[in-house]
Formats: sequence, structure tokens, C-alpha cells
Amino acid sequence: MKKKILALALALCMVLALAACGVSSTTDTGSSAPAASSGSEGSGSSAASGGSGSSGSTSSTPASTDAAPAAPAVASEITLWTYPIGNWGNEETVKALTDAFTAETGISVKVEYLTYADGDDKVNTALTANQAPDLIMEGPERLVSNWGANGYMVNIGDLFDETAIAEINTAAWLACLAYSDEELVAYEYPLCMTAHCMGINVKAFEEAGALQYVDLENHTWTTEQFINAVNALYDYYGDTVGAVFCGGQGGDQGTRALVNNLYGGTFTDEAHKVYTWDDPKNIKALQELYNLKGIDFDPAIVGGDEIANFYNGIFKMAFCWNIAQQLNPNSAGTGAEKTLNGDDIAFMAFPTESGDPKLQGGIWGFGIFNSGDEARIEASRQFIKFMAASEHTYDAVRASNFFAVRDSVNGKPLEVWSDNEIMNQYNTLMQYLGDYYQVTPGWAQARTAWWNMLQQVGASDGSEAAITAAVNEFCGQANAAAG
Amino acid sequence: MSKDNGRSKAYTICSWVILIILAFLFIFPLYWIITGALKTQAAINSPTPQWWPGEFTLRNFQTLFSKRSAPLFQFKIPFLPLMVTGPIVPAAIRWLVNTVFMAVVAMVLTCVTAAMAGYALAKKRFIGRTLLFSLIVAAMALPKQVILIPLIREMSALGLYDNIWAVIFPTVGWPFGVFLMKQFSESIPGEMLEAARIDGAGEMRTFTQIVVPMIKPGIGALAIFTFINSWNDYFMQLIMLTSSSNLTISLGIATMQAENSTDYGLIMAGATLAAVPIIVVFLIFQKYFTKGITMGAVKG
Amino acid sequence: MRQTMSPELRRRETISGYLFLLPSLVFFIGFVVIPMVMCVATSFTDANMNSNEVDHFVGLANYIELWQDPVFLKALVNTIIIVVVSVPVVTVFSLWVASAIHKMKEAPLSFFRVVFYLPVVTGSVAVTVVWKWMYNNYYGIFNYLLKGVGLIEKNINWLGDPRYALGCIIIILLTTSVGQPIVLYVSALSNVDQTLIEAAEVDGATNFQTFWRIKWPQIMPTTLYILVITTINSFQCFALIQLLTSGGPNYATETVMYYIYYTAFKLFRFGYGNAMGVILAIFIAVLSAVQFRLAREK
Repeated sequence: MKKKILALALALCMVLALAACGVSSTTDTGSSAPAASSGSEGSGSSAASGGSGSSGSTSSTPASTDAAPAAPAVASEITLWTYPIGNWGNEETVKALTDAFTAETGISVKVEYLTYADGDDKVNTALTANQAPDLIMEGPERLVSNWGANGYMVNIGDLFDETAIAEINTAAWLACLAYSDEELVAYEYPLCMTAHCMGINVKAFEEAGALQYVDLENHTWTTEQFINAVNALYDYYGDTVGAVFCGGQGGDQGTRALVNNLYGGTFTDEAHKVYTWDDPKNIKALQELYNLKGIDFDPAIVGGDEIANFYNGIFKMAFCWNIAQQLNPNSAGTGAEKTLNGDDIAFMAFPTESGDPKLQGGIWGFGIFNSGDEARIEASRQFIKFMAASEHTYDAVRASNFFAVRDSVNGKPLEVWSDNEIMNQYNTLMQYLGDYYQVTPGWAQARTAWWNMLQQVGASDGSEAAITAAVNEFCGQANAAAG
Repeated sequence: MSKDNGRSKAYTICSWVILIILAFLFIFPLYWIITGALKTQAAINSPTPQWWPGEFTLRNFQTLFSKRSAPLFQFKIPFLPLMVTGPIVPAAIRWLVNTVFMAVVAMVLTCVTAAMAGYALAKKRFIGRTLLFSLIVAAMALPKQVILIPLIREMSALGLYDNIWAVIFPTVGWPFGVFLMKQFSESIPGEMLEAARIDGAGEMRTFTQIVVPMIKPGIGALAIFTFINSWNDYFMQLIMLTSSSNLTISLGIATMQAENSTDYGLIMAGATLAAVPIIVVFLIFQKYFTKGITMGAVKG
Repeated sequence: MRQTMSPELRRRETISGYLFLLPSLVFFIGFVVIPMVMCVATSFTDANMNSNEVDHFVGLANYIELWQDPVFLKALVNTIIIVVVSVPVVTVFSLWVASAIHKMKEAPLSFFRVVFYLPVVTGSVAVTVVWKWMYNNYYGIFNYLLKGVGLIEKNINWLGDPRYALGCIIIILLTTSVGQPIVLYVSALSNVDQTLIEAAEVDGATNFQTFWRIKWPQIMPTTLYILVITTINSFQCFALIQLLTSGGPNYATETVMYYIYYTAFKLFRFGYGNAMGVILAIFIAVLSAVQFRLAREK
């Protein structure tokens, strides 16, 4: 019978041993090298975490397995977390790109795919746990104004040499910069950009007799035309034709652009210091949207759901549209620029009174989280240069389904979309690219305040006083976060 | 029996009708997940529900399995510079492997530690016992959200972040199991333990030969409880796991839902994959499940 | 009963007691008590996401702010509503189902038991996927059916309407909570002493009287156990809210559990989030103590 006890004790020991080794095996998949580097990170950068007894054994075990990279200054494996920026969310496409990088540099890249719905929370938890990836791909609104401002990013200002500054679109590189302790720093290197727009269901517009209100040549319309179109659609279908979705932050660039453009309001001031969406023009726009029968404030959905409903034919217009969606075939296989049952989709600028829409820009690129490990930072810089400033930039941009931020790379012309009809057409909207205000301090909190504000407006009685109260309350919160 | 026979009959019929309606409501979600997974994109998006798939398709499962890939398992052999990595499979399969591993290990660890602790709390008279037990009762209903931030920091310090063990350990630490086992152990007659001691049996031997057999039903109940709870403990998985190869099936489905909110068929296929295995396990062991749960309450 | 122990025996008992407790205590202290202590400690600081800033001790500022934060108060109220509604409803519902099925033959009995247990094993994430579709404003099944029978004219945005959203969440919570109580009640009711019931029937007691006088006291321990696990379960209601409403619309489904997560990862205020955690912990500890005292008395 003693055997039994012994077996039990042994089993317990084994489980605990497994626990210890499981640490290194699952934290970093792939080769054993990264485990070693993550160990060194644990002791290096995160002094605050104060390694416990058991973590000692975990970092020492993999160290012995380390294949000792030939050039000690460059890590042999790095991690990249990417948001679904066009096909940068597609494993196959990204693998082809990273494989090319590995072939040239010998650095392997482990990729994790984030989503817009939960990606921010994931990165934030990882940062809380000191376990951020090396590289992150998204826009300055996150990299610069959130993680950069909070001290988690590496300054990659030196990557912006004279060629880069000459070749990259000025607005795009400016958005990547920030001041840290009075010093100009860069937290992102841009790759691609676009202007977000609306989508309309052409067939539905035609059936409802609303096609007269849109200029499909220039892809623009006025506020009045928009209102008439919504009313015509509502009269014809008797149901909601579009939604101010506000179940969360997903796709909020659409609702912001809609509200701002209707009567010419702004979201922030020009200096990107203060949130200005308590401006009466925005309140007027919110009230107008509230009163439109065909438009519903829907706190049960976010941008992704809106697109689903638009593809389904339930919504006749989508506010969370962009060129990548226009290019991508839908999931039912009826092709690009089509809803699920094959109706044509046209992209449109947001309606304005002035005829000069300010489209919400999107800029995407790469940034490096500060792991404190020079070898990994160096490898990450090589990755950025490879993707965003070399002959491979063509493929990297192509994968994003957006426009390149530069016309040439190191003197060589970069023509990514010259062969693509849809992209060429879309270029007509690029002239309306508005201010990239997403780098205003407290941006993440401001976004949260925005959708909460929309929910409150939607739940209110729609009176000017109620809307003003909601706008003031949440704009105030955003400004408090902006400091 | 006789005087209100009519009334009682009417009542029986009524309750049967209500029960059947309720049963339908309870089965429906599962039915809808499984049939939805087999529907075409057009059918699933149709504004009028299609009660039975007009056309069966495996497209959703094909998409699910081609979406992401991961090694089937990764296991590092202790103290050797060797890592055994399984063949590359669809990530959804890996998520299932992770989930089963997590639930089984959490179950075993909880049962072993809780049985020992419960016995000690019930039968040993030692200093600090009341205090400890009060602490356990107070912590029992505590939602894990309360310690969200410190727990993330702690796991990171231990090098366990983004690791299935970071989900297992807090589950094992949750004191509900200890409470349950303590209630069970109360029923062990003190004379039996006394007799064993007089016979010269050691502590460990008394425990394995007298205590364990007596609280076996309780261990069974706890095992089932822990297994299901950790299988479904979405929150801990959400905050602790990030790499796509380390996800559990619930978390994987939630992520997929976030990623492809336009593709309901795919989400249903994922949900089917998450739900069906555990339901099969449940149906096979149904008798033990109900027996175990029931046992749990007799002394609970 | 127990003889007074000799000091030697007492020493031995203490040592062996702690040895038996050790494995469990390692986990309990390591992953519950220590984080809880850290939680309390940080709740007095202004800790946040920003790694450039040093955390400052702010005393009770976070706690004072909590009582002035309308969202927190709303979340607290919602949390209480969820518990106060779901615990009795689950108990009564499962007692009714159990009493309706416990006398059935083996086959239908186990059919119903399995059916009511299904949502528990299916798991909240998979279940949520379907419920999200059922509640959908535009093509959800509830609107479709209610419109079909003419009860409503216009679609109701179940999860998007502050009036219904919390109720909708509670309904899902109920379906995933009644499985275990039903199984428990079925067995408790079958174990009720039959001779007592027969005797009562001979005395001419009505069904209701038999239930109240004879069955109810005998199933009391089961009821108490069910109250405990349902309370625990109701407080764990996080996935539903995170996946369906994110606390909206207009904070109608905000719970303290979700608000802690929200404060930490959307507002980046760790200290404030921890203060919320402490309040919730105290609240629950008191509740548990009360429940436990009640259980003791019975």
C-alpha cells in the first residue's frame, strides 16, 4: 500500500515539474531561442516583477538550449502582432511576407493575429503582464497616442532619414511623431493609408428612387441629399436603412466622420490638444440623425455587425466602409463590390453641406514595443525596413489593400495599384483625406467616451437639451483624459 | 387520492405541456448551432429563419479548419534541451487539446489538494483552523474579476503569462473545492480514525485507506464540478492567454466571432466544435454526472 | 464527544493538519490571497497603464470617487439585481421542474435532466453565439415569432434597448444555471421519506400541505446548497456581458465585474479598478457570511 502513496506523491511531483517546464514550452512556441530571450527580458526590463523562485528555473533551462545566434546583436526570432489590416490578418498572405523576410535575414517571425473587437484589450493585458510582442502593426492612433504616450514604445526616429521624409506622405509621417519629455520621437513607421468612407447598396437606392440623390461619378453627396435618400429608402422599405452603431468602439471612425461631416463639425482642435465634439454643429448633426426615421442608434451592434447587416441587405448603407472591403470578395462568393445576393455596392464620401467632405484617414505601419532587449529591437528594425522601406514594400502594401504612404522607395518609383480599376476610382476620394486627429492625447479614452455618448443620445428623448447634456458629459470625460 | 383525481390529472397534463415547451427552448440553442454550422451562407443570413437546412454544406467547417494552424501539441521534456512538437493541425484542434488538458489537470489537482485540505479542516483540531475556514468561506464566492490586475502581474512575474498553467493554478486555488470536501469529511466517524491511529497507521495511510474511500462520492462531485467550470471559465482564459496556439476552444470561438462577425456559419461551426465534444462526454457519463452532483449536495 | 487532547497530541494534530493543508494552501495563498493583498494595496494608489509615471499613494481617494461615480453605482445596482432576481428564480424554477419530473419513469426523467443540463455543458461562449442571433433586432427569432403572432408591430432591439437588455442577459444566465439545481432537487425529492407522505395523505392533507409540511423541511439542506452555488454562479456572469453588450446600452447591463475589466483595459486606471474589486470582495464576503450563518442555524 505504501506504493500507492509513493505513486501519488510522484504524480504530484511530476505535475509540478510539468508545470515548470510547461512555462517555457508554451510561452514561446517555435524554436527555443525566443524562450531564452524572454527569460532575459524577465530579468532585464521587468525588474518590477521581481522574479520568484520558480521563474529562475524556467529561464535557466531554455538558456542551455539556446542555439547562440551568430551575430549577438540581432535576435533570431521576433514576434509580430497584427490587426486585420486588409490581408495582414490573413495567415497565408502574412506568411509569404514573413517567409521572404526570414529568407533574407535569417530572422524568423512569429505572428499573432488580433481583431479589432478584442485586440486592444489583448495588447493592454499583455503590457500589464510585461509580455508585449516585439512588433505591432496598426495606426498612430494606438501606437503613438496610446502605447507610445504611455511609454511602451521604442523611439524609431532614426529610421526617418532624409529619403524617408522626402518620400513618405507628410501627413503620414507627421502622425507618427510625438513629443516625449520635450524631445521629438517617432513611435511608428508608416506603410499604408486610406480614407474611410461609406458604402451604399446601389440596387436598393435604385428601387427606392434614391439614386437621384447620389453622384456616383464623384462619389459625393450633400447633407440634404443624404437626408432625402434616407427618407426615400425608409418610405420604400418601411424599416431601418442604416445604423449609428455604438455597441463598442469597433468601426467608430464611421460614426465620427458621419456626425462631423453632416454640418461641418470637428472632433478635435487643429493642434490635437482638445476634443471639440461638443461643438453645436455636431449636436445639430446628432439631433438630425436621431430624428431620421431610417437611421437607428443601435447599441447592440458595432462596425463589424453593421457591415454584416449591410452585406445581408438589411442596411442599405454602411458607415464603416473602406477600400479594403470594396476590394475583398464577400464571404458568399458573389464577388467584390457586391452584397451577399449580388447587389452592387458603391463607395461614397460622407455627406456634407459644403461639398467638401473631410474623410477620416487611416494610417497603418509598424512600431516596436520596448522589451529592453537590444537584439530583438534591432531585429524588429530590420523587419520594419524590409517591409516599409525596401523593394518588398510593394508586396507589403499590396497585402494591406490600402494605398502606399509613399510614391517611391529609396528613389525607385512605387506603383502598387496602377493595374487596379477599383483602386484608381477610389483615388477620387483620397483628395478629401481629412486631418489625422487620432493622435490627440487620451485617444483611447476618448473613443470609449464617444460610443458611450452615442448610446446615451440614442436612449434619450432626442431633445436638444438631452443631446447637449450627453455630448458635454462625455466630451468632458475625453478632455479630462487628454489632460 | 380519489377526491382531487381530476384536478391532479389536469395538473399533470399541464405540467407535461409546459415541460415539453421548456425542453424545446433548452434544446433549441444547441440545435441551432449544429444545424447553423451546416447551412449555406445565404440560408443562415436569411431574415426568415430556415428551421431545417435546405442544403447541407461543410464549407463552414472547411473554413474553420483552414483559417489558422498550430502544432497539435508542444511538450518540453524536463531537463533536456528537447521539445516535442506535434504535427501542424488546424488551430481549432489545438484549442480542443489545450482545453481538455486544462480541464483535466485542473480537475486532478483540485481533487487531490481539496480532498487533503478538506479532511484536515474537518477532522484535525489545530490552531488557526477556524480562521482559515472563515477565510475560505469568504473567498469562495469571490469573482475572479476582483483580482484581475494583480493576477496578471503575478503570472507575468512567474513567467506563466500566455500559458495554460496561468489558467489552471487560480482554478485550483479557488477554495470552493476545499469547502465541499470539508463538508464531506465531517461525516467520517471519528472513531474510525481513532481506531486506525491506535492500530499504528500513519497519517498518510489513514488518509488514503480510510478517508479517501469514504469521501469518494464527494471527490466525484468535485471532479465534475471543476471539469465543467474550468472548461467554461472564459474570463481567466481571456485575460491569461494570447497566442493563437495557446487558446482554449471557448476563447478561440470568441476571438473568431470578433474576427468574422460577418460569417455566422463559421462562428456556428466553431461553436459546434466547442460544444459537441463536452456534450458527448456528458451524455456518455450522464449517470455518473447526475450521481456525482447529487452526492455533492447530500452533505453540501 | 471529543476528549480534551494532550498538548503532545495537539501539536501532532497541528503539524499533520498543516501538512495536509499545504498543497491546497500553496495554490490558495499563491493565487487568491496574495493577489487580493496586492489588490488592496494598489487600491490606495493612482496606478495606471502609463509606465513613465510612478504610482502615487492617494489614500482613500479612489474609494471616495467610487461613491460619486454614477456608472459604478449603476453597476452595483445591476449586479445586485442580477443576483436578487436569478437566485430565487433559479431555485423556484428548478424546484418546480424537479417536482414535476421526479416521479417519472427512468427514460423521460433522464431525458429532462439531460435537456435542462445541456446549456451548462455547452458553455457560455457557444450559447452566447446563438442568443446573440436570437435577440437580433433585424433577423432575430424573437422578433420574427412575436411579429408572426402579431404581439409586436415593430422590431424590438432586445439587447440595444436599455429597458430590456438586463432582462435578456438574466434570461440567458437562468438557462445556464438551472441544470445543476434540477438534478439536485430530483434526487432530494426522491429521498423524501415516503411513509410520512402517505401518512399525511391518509390524514387528508392537500398536495400543497404535504409539500410544505413534509417535503420542504427535508429538502432544506439541498436548497441551501443551491442558494450558495447559484449565488456564486450569478456573480461570475461576465462572459455574457463582455460578448453581448459590453455593459451597454447606456450602462444598462454594466456590472461591477465587467466595470473592473473596463476600468482596467479601456480607461487604464488600475488603482481605481482595484478599489472596485475591494468593495465587491467585501460585499460578497459579507453575503457569504450571512448565507453561511443561515445554513448553520438550520
